[in-house]
Amino acid sequence: MFSTSTQRKFWTFSDETELARLREKHNLQYISKHGSNTDEYQPYNIFLSPEEEGLLLKQYELHMKEFCKRFSPPMPKGVVGTAFHYFKRFYLYNSTMDYHPKEILATCVYLACKVEEFNVSIGQFVANIKGDREKASDIILNNELLLMQQLNYHLTIHNPFRPVEGFLIDIKTRCTLPNPERLRSGIDEFLEKVFLTDACLLYAPSQIALAAVLHSASKEQENLDSYVTEILFIDAGPDKLAILIEAVRKIRSLVKMVENPVRERVKIIEKKLDRCRNQENNPDSEIYKRRMRETLDEDDMPYSGTSRMSLDTSGVTQVLSPSAS
Amino acid sequence: MDNDVTNYSVIGRIGEGAHGLVFKARHLSTGREVALKKILIKNLEDGIPVNVMREIKALQLLRCKYIIKLYDMFPRGLSLVLVLEYMCSGLWEMLHHNQQELTLPRIKTYVQMLLKGTRYMHAHYVMHRDLKPANLLINHEGILKIADLGLARLYWPDGGRPYSHQVATRWYRAPELLYGARFYTEKVDLWAVGCIIAELITKQPLFAGESDIEQLAIVLQHLGTPTEETWPGHSELPDYHKITFPESSPTPWHELLPGVEPDALHLVKSFILYDANKRISAKEAIRHPWFQNRPLPATMDEMPKPSAIKSK
Repeated sequence: MFSTSTQRKFWTFSDETELARLREKHNLQYISKHGSNTDEYQPYNIFLSPEEEGLLLKQYELHMKEFCKRFSPPMPKGVVGTAFHYFKRFYLYNSTMDYHPKEILATCVYLACKVEEFNVSIGQFVANIKGDREKASDIILNNELLLMQQLNYHLTIHNPFRPVEGFLIDIKTRCTLPNPERLRSGIDEFLEKVFLTDACLLYAPSQIALAAVLHSASKEQENLDSYVTEILFIDAGPDKLAILIEAVRKIRSLVKMVENPVRERVKIIEKKLDRCRNQENNPDSEIYKRRMRETLDEDDMPYSGTSRMSLDTSGVTQVLSPSAS
Repeated sequence: MDNDVTNYSVIGRIGEGAHGLVFKARHLSTGREVALKKILIKNLEDGIPVNVMREIKALQLLRCKYIIKLYDMFPRGLSLVLVLEYMCSGLWEMLHHNQQELTLPRIKTYVQMLLKGTRYMHAHYVMHRDLKPANLLINHEGILKIADLGLARLYWPDGGRPYSHQVATRWYRAPELLYGARFYTEKVDLWAVGCIIAELITKQPLFAGESDIEQLAIVLQHLGTPTEETWPGHSELPDYHKITFPESSPTPWHELLPGVEPDALHLVKSFILYDANKRISAKEAIRHPWFQNRPLPATMDEMPKPSAIKSK
């Protein structure tokens, strides 16, 4: 249930300012960590500004949308929605300069496939990626754990697709609108765009679903206002209704404002990113390769048990030193 | 957050799952005993296994006294470590090493805990699909909890426990699964519950087949050849026509489970039905007269406390 979910508790934010503040914080953190030799008054000569990071992420969200659309076998909507949630969540707490969005993008989609039980092997998955597939699969598998950790292991995502089905059933049974099925294409189109906005970090899936339904209805020259006020929210009271109406209005305006970033601008940002990105997380760098080797060696659990296992641990009072990590 | 191995003092190895080792450890700041289940990822072709994802998702969703708790998780090297509630024993141990402890009142209490956990899981639309004594663990207070939701089970340091045999066991598998059903319901868990109750009472597995085919043969032999009436739609199951068994008529339950009280027989046979839709639900089973009839279920004070037994 959404109301008791980690999505509501940890990943639904009060407003866009809060999102902007988080993103800016991690942009600044990156710069202060890596920018000791740069002009402190003009850090953005070298580093990406929060605005540039935002544009870059917009571009990669478009890539993600295309990637999922062309994916073979055809990908269920729920996987796409979940992947978008993961991607947005990841970059609330990380800078694109630390982790390149092209790598995180693929990892988000791969993890979403698993969590949504859309079972594809890593081989099938990277067959959808252009370029060096072996490298791609290494990157994805190496990032999977990082991504899970950055998501705080909150894997379950509540997408707006199920509430949409609920609304359609409800409209069919309690509303006089003729042929509600014709709303579908408008709804799908709206939801595709919604994932290019921050709506899923700000609103409940049912609110997003309702915005999609109402948007599609108005495109069909239909008006569902009386359904919302007189049927759906008849017992809710005026303040609850006002909150909902405001949410729907805001979600629709977010979708209306979606625009593609200017290609040339993104190209410049990508070039800049190649220079300022964290080489430790760049799979092509020597430092990354060395770190991967070290991680492999570290992979042992220190423990003080005897080789014969025993439940009688009364003699074991020793506290292990954390030397191995 | 305490998600790092340095927050735990590892006491020893307690088991081995399909994807790695399980350790007993103490959480340093709280003193709480935990089980650290380490999932090795580096050798896995597709990364973190889907069944690990399932277990994480399920345990995050389910918060119930009768289901094992997932406290935390952290990466370590190329492994993922799950921090789980530490359970010092289990029904498998009770059945194999402390049988005399399994008196009827205590069995009734264990079954109540099992049914409450199952009811809770099913109320949250989670089916376990692998209920069996080895997955029903018991903590130091004597509370039974359902474990291993999608991941390999723990084994406990009691000496010669045949792990590989446990993996292969089909004794608790519902007949629709044996016939290769792709679409089934949470009622597969209730078949398993029925098998477990019978086993606790008689100290013998109810249907102990050595292979899938033998398992089916035993079930069919005891319950009789299925008919369209006892099992609607059975002939459409994927593997139904792959094998035929001799016609048999059902064995009466009092012959199948000799010496078992009629009320217990009634409960067991409400689970062990071909027709999954007719199997009693966990919610209904909790109200079964067996629990109200004498001997009454044991109180928690009367339940064995596993760690206390071991230290004697």
